[in-house]
Amino acid sequence: MLAIDHGAPGIVVIKGRLDAAQSPAAQAFLDGVQGTVTLDCSGLEYISSAGLGVLLKTQKRLLATGGKLRLSGVNRHLQDIFGYSGFDQLFEIEPAR
Amino acid sequence: MTAQRSFGRSFDSLPAIVAFTAEVFARERIDPGLTPVIDLAIEELFTNMVKYGKGSNADVRIEMTGIEGGVEVTLTDYDVDRFDVTATPDVDISLPIEQRRPGGLGLHLIRRLLDSIEYEYEEALRQSRITFRKTQAEPEGAVHTNKGG
Repeated sequence: MLAIDHGAPGIVVIKGRLDAAQSPAAQAFLDGVQGTVTLDCSGLEYISSAGLGVLLKTQKRLLATGGKLRLSGVNRHLQDIFGYSGFDQLFEIEPAR
Repeated sequence: MTAQRSFGRSFDSLPAIVAFTAEVFARERIDPGLTPVIDLAIEELFTNMVKYGKGSNADVRIEMTGIEGGVEVTLTDYDVDRFDVTATPDVDISLPIEQRRPGGLGLHLIRRLLDSIEYEYEEALRQSRITFRKTQAEPEGAVHTNKGG
């Protein structure tokens, strides 16, 4: 399951599994955000390439309008995924504490 | 002991596949630390079968066996054309974001995370079989082989 919602101003909180089945819902939500947004990933357990596609599409759209998507609370497994996919060069990533 | 189950070729099968994997890991006492990588590899391979095997209505069979220090998984797809997942090109992750596309990332990722991945195709049966292994040891470099027949 996946949950995604607004947190504090400028923050979107995502929890659960961002897989191919859940990516359309995540994309629909993120299509509505503007400016510079921090995606709090501290509750994100899992991401597949479908989820990476959602993040990439959102980052491209926000950068085109002067904003960006930051990723915070990223666990070790997700850091590996972002590293192997080169996303660590495309996003500001703050590891989980 | 090998566990096996068949799943309908739909993204909606993913929760049931995750549950099956968790069930086998618990029963076979497979290191739960391997779960995210196994879930990822199965999802990427299964969703490829769903996306590119549209001519088939057959379920996809997943077999899972505990091996020393890890797990071996085989996905079998029926009535499909050859699609060698070990032969797809790597993604150029050095490209600037304007030129990045999400396509191909899944296979690119799992080739780096798994110990080995093999592809076999039975021409007469139009059957694809993908077998991969993952153990606790960090892979020094994934082994990709093709046993196409």
